[in-house]
Amino acid sequence: MIWEVFRQEEPGDSHEHVGNVHAPDREMATLFARIQHARRMQTNSLWVTPRDEIGEVTAEDAAFGGRTDKSYRWAMTYNDIDASFAEEVADSESEQREAARKRREALREEENEA
Amino acid sequence: MSETPRPDAIDRRDLSAEQQAAVEELLFRLADDEFVHAERLTEWQIYAPTLESDLAIANIAQDEFGHARLWYDLLKQLGYTEPECIWERDPTEWTHSLLVERPFDAGNWGDAVLRGYLYDVAERIRLKAVADTSYAPLADRVGKALEEEAYHREHATNWLERLTADDDGQARMQDALDDLFPAALSLFDPGPREDDIVAFGFRTESLAAMRTEWLETIGPSLEALGLAVPDPDEVARPNGRGRYGTHTNAWHDLYDEFTATYREVDFETPVELRATEE
Repeated sequence: MIWEVFRQEEPGDSHEHVGNVHAPDREMATLFARIQHARRMQTNSLWVTPRDEIGEVTAEDAAFGGRTDKSYRWAMTYNDIDASFAEEVADSESEQREAARKRREALREEENEA
Repeated sequence: MSETPRPDAIDRRDLSAEQQAAVEELLFRLADDEFVHAERLTEWQIYAPTLESDLAIANIAQDEFGHARLWYDLLKQLGYTEPECIWERDPTEWTHSLLVERPFDAGNWGDAVLRGYLYDVAERIRLKAVADTSYAPLADRVGKALEEEAYHREHATNWLERLTADDDGQARMQDALDDLFPAALSLFDPGPREDDIVAFGFRTESLAAMRTEWLETIGPSLEALGLAVPDPDEVARPNGRGRYGTHTNAWHDLYDEFTATYREVDFETPVELRATEE
C-alpha cells in the first residue's frame, strides 16, 4: 500500500508533498516517513495519507477555469488605482494577469492545432 | 534525568587510578555494545524486506554508531586514540555482550527485529542508570542518546506486533526468542570492576536491578504478543563472558571483517568513525 507523505517545515507553513512510502498501515507509514522524508530536513510535522484516499481530477478530465477568455470577469472599476499600498491586492492582480495570459496562450495553441 | 552534573560530580582530571579504570570499563561496555550492534545491523542493508524497512534499519545502525562515537570520544578524552579504541584494539579486549556479536540467521527479519527490541529496552534502562552519573563528562551526553532510542523501540515494537500477528509468525518469533534470550542475558553480566562502577556512583543502578527491570519490561510485552519468555535461570548460556573479553567465534570473524579495510589501506591517520564534535 502506498502512502503519500506531506511535510511541514515550520509551524504555520503548508504541508508540501515530498514523496511516498510503502507501508501496510498508517502506523508503519508514519514510522517509515520519519526516516525517509524527514531525517535530513528540518521538519515540524508530517502527514501521511493513503494514495487511494486522494481524489484527483486532471486537465484531461476537466477544463480548469473554463475555455473562453475570462477577462470580462475582471473588476475594472479600480484599475486606475495604484495597488502597491496593499501587497496582497497587487499580488492577486498580477496572478490574475498571469493566469489570463497563460489561458490565452493555451487557447491560441488549440486554435492553431485545429 | 538531569543534564546538569550532580553537586559531587567528578571531573576527569580528578579521577584516581581506580576511578579511571572503572570509568573506562563502563564506557567501553557502552561503546562496544553500540558499535558491534550497529556493525551487525548494517548487514541488513539492501536485504531488509522493503526499501522503507531497509532505510529505517540503516538509520538505526547509524544512530548506534553515533552513540558509540559519544562514548569513544569520552575514552579519547581519557587518553585513548581512535585505533586504540577500535581499529587496533585486541579483539579479546572488547567487552560487548554476546547478544550483539551474534551473526543473523540469514534472511530472518524476525531475528533482527527481536534482537533490536531486546537490545533497545536494555539500552534505555542502562542510559537511565547513567543519567545521574557522578562522572560529569558522561552526564551531559546521555539525554540526546535517550531521545533517539525512542524511535528504535517504537520501530521494534511495531514490527514485533505485526510479525506475531498469526500462528506461523508467532512460532517463528518464539524460535528467535529462544535463540536470542540466553545471549541477551549477557547484557547484564558484570565485568571485573563492576563494584567500583557502582561504588563511585558512575552508574546509579546495579546490574542486577537493571536486569530485573529489563525482564519485567520485556516479559509482559512479549507474553502479550503470545510469546513465552524462557526462565532466565534455566537457559543454557552461550560460551564466553563478553564483559571479560571472551567471545564466541562469530565475534572474531566479524572483527577481522570490519578491520580488514583499515589494515589493507594502512592510512597514516586512520579515519574516524565520525568527525569529533567539540
